[in-house]
Amino acid sequence: MTTLVARSVAALGRALLIAVPVLLVSTFITFMLGGLTDQDPASVVLGDSATPADVARMREVFGLDRPLLARYALWLWDALHGDLGASWFTRIPVARSIAERLPVSLSVAAGALLIAVVLGGVFGVLAAVRQGGRLDRAVTVVTSVLATVPGFVAAIALITVFSLLVPVLPSGGWAPASDGLPTWASFLVLPCVALSLDAAADVARQLRTGLADTLHENYVVGARVRGLPGWRIVLVHALRNGAGPAVAVLGMHVPRLIGGAVIVETVFALPGIGELTKTAALGGDVPVVQGALLVTIGVVLVSSALVNVLLVKLRPAARREI
Amino acid sequence: MSVSPDSATAVRTVADAVSEPLLSVRGLRVSVADGTEVVRGVDLDVPRGSAVGLVGESGSGKTLTCRAVLGLLPAGVEVTGGRISLGDTELTALPAARRARLRGTHLAAVFQDPASYLNPSITVGAQLAEVLRVKVGLARRAARERAVELLHAMGLRRPEHVYAQYPFELSGGMLQRVLIAMAITAEPELLIADEATTALDVTVQAEVLELLSELCRDRGLTLMVVSHDLAVIAQLCETVYVFRDGAVVEEGPTRRVLRGPRHPYTRELIRDHERFGIDRVREQGSRR
Repeated sequence: MTTLVARSVAALGRALLIAVPVLLVSTFITFMLGGLTDQDPASVVLGDSATPADVARMREVFGLDRPLLARYALWLWDALHGDLGASWFTRIPVARSIAERLPVSLSVAAGALLIAVVLGGVFGVLAAVRQGGRLDRAVTVVTSVLATVPGFVAAIALITVFSLLVPVLPSGGWAPASDGLPTWASFLVLPCVALSLDAAADVARQLRTGLADTLHENYVVGARVRGLPGWRIVLVHALRNGAGPAVAVLGMHVPRLIGGAVIVETVFALPGIGELTKTAALGGDVPVVQGALLVTIGVVLVSSALVNVLLVKLRPAARREI
Repeated sequence: MSVSPDSATAVRTVADAVSEPLLSVRGLRVSVADGTEVVRGVDLDVPRGSAVGLVGESGSGKTLTCRAVLGLLPAGVEVTGGRISLGDTELTALPAARRARLRGTHLAAVFQDPASYLNPSITVGAQLAEVLRVKVGLARRAARERAVELLHAMGLRRPEHVYAQYPFELSGGMLQRVLIAMAITAEPELLIADEATTALDVTVQAEVLELLSELCRDRGLTLMVVSHDLAVIAQLCETVYVFRDGAVVEEGPTRRVLRGPRHPYTRELIRDHERFGIDRVREQGSRR
């Protein structure tokens, strides 16, 4: 048991070790890209009527008069001390904008994750158990279709059905949980479903393949010889060894559910991180983009660490798979 | 069996009445999906408390006969005729869930390559305790204690330590003992040992065979031993069935079959085994 704890800690440490260089490189690249565009934030902020002297003063305020590397070092230093700076356009502190939008993105991502796990899990297991059967083939077809449908198509289809044809859910917008849980949930359902579909399809497919293989293993015959009930053999013995790829795939989807939800957030007019990043990126608002990136990387870090620990716990005997 | 004035037969009739067969297979036929028959009308009786051997080369149908008895034929293979009765229960007519309930508590099995029959991601102790919880109905803590006791009873040293090991951390002989513990833990009447000692080295094989005969003696377990190795059969079994091409070609008391084989195939089998020291076993048999 102590080796298991040690291996979990090692998996966590490994995720952190990978995260630090990833963090440095990706923030550096965004910083450079921001610096390389010939957009001058100072003149954009001040408008057409600004005098060159005003622009120069503004550039000084933003720190744009300093070399790019020095600016990056300064940003990094401040970020390490919890100061992400302020938007160049609105002067709103980046940390505050993120804090306002993170609950939205996290609720949608958590909802989508839940749907992906439940739908993907149930249909993946059923397809594997009924290998070659009608249900298995239906799951294969449906998941293949879902995995190729872009999120915004699913979003528009869902709005058409549930907001226009059968108007039971709002087509977009957002209400915080403090407005009452039913209202909050009603705004949450469609974005969550739209965002979850390809993750659910991937989980179902990986689970079906992984589980189908393990169900042919001798230890499954062994468990049947011992007279254990069928559900127990599938859910305890086979799932444990067959779920690895599905868990890994789910881990890869998590960052996409948070940082990559731009399109779904736009379609449903959700004030989330994705929408914040998009607006900032279009305007060249480097501090905001950097801040949002930091959050996304943080989520990637946490989810990959969790996945690594989970994989170690699932299959203590296996070497690491991702 | 008809009554006969011959005294030897009369004695046998009385003995049979006392030990009516625990397992009785009649006209068993097993076919593959394409219609090929791989077991072609096998009759066999396993008297309660005895040890019966099934011998024959690979592909002779002995393993499929066992799998049919267990109700665990591979996909695409099914029973196409005959009856299998365990005590008063006719097995072939039972639905799958009822048969699953009989496994472990009425009949059990151990196979070749024990490592592959254990879940690689769960400690062997937890897998043994699972059987005790599900099949015997013990609570978690009681199951754990009982599992450690059983591991000890199987001749495993430091049972608490073994309990916490994963299958890949134990040797083949130890794993086979663990599997035997799992098989007998819910007190089945019949234990099928299908090539259970084949992959083990000679000394470990002898120890595991010793354990099996002890279990037979001490717990009244009925044993059905499948092996291609006549020496194993000779050591454990009173009765032997010789399989060839999905049918029984010769049957009888082990000593009689080994000393005076009637079927040419049995003679061939014994000749093949002579190189592996079967003579010694036969001599021991005749001295007893």
